[in-house]
Amino acid sequence: MAAKFLFAALAASQLLGFSAAWAAAPEIISRSLVRIQTVSQDPDYSAPWNAGSVEQGVGAGFVISGNSVLTNAHVVSNARKIWLTRENDPKRYPARIAHIAHDCDLAVLEPLDASFFHGMKPLTIGEIPALESTVMVYGYPIGGEHASVTRGIVSRIEFMEYSHSGADSHLVVQIDAAINPGNSGGPVVQNGLVVGVAFQGYSGDVAQNTGYMIPPPVIKRFLKDIADGRYDHYVDLSISWFPLYNPAARSALGLPDDGRGVLISKLYRGGAADSLLREGDVLLAIDGYDVASDGSVEIDGSEVELAEIIERKFRGESARLDLIRDGKPLTVTVPLRPFPYTIYANTYDVQSRFLVFGGLVFQPLDQNFVNTTEITNSRSRYLFDHFLEDDLYQQRDEIVILSTILSDPVNTYAEEFRHAAVDRINDRPIRNLADAAAALAAPAKYYVIEFVGASRPLVLEAEAVSAARDRILSRYGVTKESNLQP
Amino acid sequence: MSLRPPLLPALLALLALALPLAAQDAPPLPGAASLIRVNATNQNYNFAKPWTKRPPYTRRGIGTVIEGGRVLVTAELVANHTYVELERPGQPDKTPATVLRVDADANLALLVPADPAFLADTVPVPFATDVRVGRQVAVAQLETNGTPAYTPGIVTTTTVSPYPSDGIALLSYRISAPLQYRDNSFTLPVFAGPALAGLLMRYDARSQTAELVAAPVIANFLARVAREPYRGFPRAGLTFAPTRDPQFRRYLALDEQGGVYVASVSKGSPAEKSGLKPGDVILKVDGHPLDVDGNYVDADYGKIPFSHLVSSATPGGSLPLDVRRDGKPLQLTLPLEPRDPATIISETAILDRAPRYYILGGLVFTELSRSYLKEWGGNWRSEAPARLVYLDEFQDELPADQGKVVFLSEVLPADTTLGYDDVGSNRVTRINGVPIRRLEDIALAVKKPQAGFHRIELESDPKILFLDARKSEESAEELKRSYGLPALDNLSANPLP
Repeated sequence: MAAKFLFAALAASQLLGFSAAWAAAPEIISRSLVRIQTVSQDPDYSAPWNAGSVEQGVGAGFVISGNSVLTNAHVVSNARKIWLTRENDPKRYPARIAHIAHDCDLAVLEPLDASFFHGMKPLTIGEIPALESTVMVYGYPIGGEHASVTRGIVSRIEFMEYSHSGADSHLVVQIDAAINPGNSGGPVVQNGLVVGVAFQGYSGDVAQNTGYMIPPPVIKRFLKDIADGRYDHYVDLSISWFPLYNPAARSALGLPDDGRGVLISKLYRGGAADSLLREGDVLLAIDGYDVASDGSVEIDGSEVELAEIIERKFRGESARLDLIRDGKPLTVTVPLRPFPYTIYANTYDVQSRFLVFGGLVFQPLDQNFVNTTEITNSRSRYLFDHFLEDDLYQQRDEIVILSTILSDPVNTYAEEFRHAAVDRINDRPIRNLADAAAALAAPAKYYVIEFVGASRPLVLEAEAVSAARDRILSRYGVTKESNLQP
Repeated sequence: MSLRPPLLPALLALLALALPLAAQDAPPLPGAASLIRVNATNQNYNFAKPWTKRPPYTRRGIGTVIEGGRVLVTAELVANHTYVELERPGQPDKTPATVLRVDADANLALLVPADPAFLADTVPVPFATDVRVGRQVAVAQLETNGTPAYTPGIVTTTTVSPYPSDGIALLSYRISAPLQYRDNSFTLPVFAGPALAGLLMRYDARSQTAELVAAPVIANFLARVAREPYRGFPRAGLTFAPTRDPQFRRYLALDEQGGVYVASVSKGSPAEKSGLKPGDVILKVDGHPLDVDGNYVDADYGKIPFSHLVSSATPGGSLPLDVRRDGKPLQLTLPLEPRDPATIISETAILDRAPRYYILGGLVFTELSRSYLKEWGGNWRSEAPARLVYLDEFQDELPADQGKVVFLSEVLPADTTLGYDDVGSNRVTRINGVPIRRLEDIALAVKKPQAGFHRIELESDPKILFLDARKSEESAEELKRSYGLPALDNLSANPLP
């Protein structure tokens, strides 16, 4: 999966300035397709007080009903400016994000000037296209000024990780269209209806001609979710399950040889099913859909993973689970809510949180940080990798690490603690960055910082810290000493 | 053509270095009668497939004859040996040898010939006690005709450094010597005049530097061999942090010049028996003040780590410790004991013992060791299963009654393991309700199936597996046949030779 890339917006410097004669553009291109230009600023995780570097990008989108433009979340993530352009109209229309869903990589944009929609025609979302059927992909691959159309065949329908968040899996449709970066957010059309939004693929050295689109059930769910003016995220049972087709396991659990049921192997604390299910329960059916022993359910004649039933639901709704517990049947209704932990999700549109004290920079160890920095401390790597698996979230809300050392006489001996996770400060347990800020703000003669697994505490003298403060801030150009709120 | 002035002194200096070996008054180096060719055929175990051995390979090295009709070599030369053969330089006869004693931590092994007469008219060598930095030494190699070929070298460093087994740090000498590659290994003795200065254990051809097992370590090893039963080198069993940081020193209210901060104390270790606790500051060991990095001034070798005081002490004694706890002085006594193998959860190097395993209905169980993790190659710390690496690295924090870490290492696809193929390495906690602390516990647990099933509880997802007890037993022969398993378990302890 490492080679999978998003058809991310291209840097402006890569744009090819060719102008091609574009005669008689099809109606979809001239009346529905939208070119999206952005200026974005990604937070700087290695110098978090900086605003981050500015980049320009290009992506695609299309007009949907309600004077809106649908595109991928990753096209407009961290955007500072967004402009929409129409084919054969030189004007750039500034736009804003109305709704953005990073968990399913979709966003709805609104131009500030509604005249953008004059002469435009909204597209309608259709159904999942049939295998082997032909679809047309519209977009601005390699960033060109003019629209491109490619044709592909629907190759496969499956459940797959969405790499924008890196932590969510939903239904995807694989097509063999030769699509490229810049296609992102563009409509995939069949018989005049949108059957997908092009969004990710593999790089050429892994697989050729393989593209993925977000299929109609995911698009429709997103549009339905935001209908009340607010995006509520996907809901989740917050469980892991294990297939039950081993005959001995089936008999030992008192199950008949009917190919039904999976074992609930892990419950995540704070998740929807936490207090309602037990590890070791056997899940036989969800909302009346039989769960096969490999975890699949049949919906509308096709086999999909059992999570697909929950996928289609919204916050506030429930799922009815038929279980076997200790050999006895049991039905449980689970009120659904989102998965409570975001440690492994890429996050966007938030400034990085940090704290500078005595030249030591403290940051939460999350996916965004890991994406930019290789963690050298093996304890911290363990805490991160096993945060959910080993229920480490029961001890701390997040892993606060010493991320950077702004070298100064006050912290000369701190190097051995680089990337180590803070356990306690002056005997106060540190569950999150705010705890660390509070402990370091409390008056004391010595600040005794205990790191997980370190051979000694790091001790800073309050006097030395305050004497070093201005010196460090000016020498390293630290414009802000902390950002505790996302 | 004339030499430019700066080169001339350099040449003279080189000549001066070479001179002492040739000089008339230099003590003679040992002759062929003190050297033995050692041909060792070794075969390593495959800890990932614990029922198999890797292909054999042969190494040649040079052993040294010492008193008592014994031949001294490094432990590395004969690790996992299947056949060891001795050869007198320039003589046609060869004889098989047995490994009398091996200590992987000290990287030393003693060999004895099957035929005691084989060593008749050999000349045992003494051990050098006066090797210091700057001392001239000579590395022994053998010409094909059996004539000793000595390469001069000079001792550049005497220090206490980790030995190849990852076990403990012991005294070692670093020498500078331009060695030729002969006899397919650098397992060679090094002499200071007629006396053995050490055994070469690592050679870096680029920098032409070599590291030696120092003669005092060899003498210490032989003193331990003389006392049955053999017990290895003592170690304190603690980790410490330097107290260099002045803010840390002021916080600890340390007014002395040095001292180290005790970070952890291993369970059952001499440090624990002495009463040391994390947070103590050790100021003196055996009356020697420690500096902020834990070095003391040794009469022979200068500033070296205090672990040398522990490892070089005569067996059975103890060392006084001057400690500071909560600002108050404290006197403790550190018993000098080797690590009790029974307290080791994950062993650093398993040599000359077949890996232990237990196969139940296609599920392969084994015990965690560094040898197992190293099957992932040089990058095992990042390549091997993360949890196992973590358990190995931080084993001192596991509960005292942990025993070994028993885990499911592999699933051999079989009718009994249908649907379990994707269950990766996963620690076993209980089988049929019996807590699993060593492989023998599995053998006991499988005698108590529950309602005809084996109930296998794991630490991580999926947390539980079931096997049909009768079918597991019935499938045993089929499993052995299809996967070429010589046996379904190895529970032998295979004591060290």
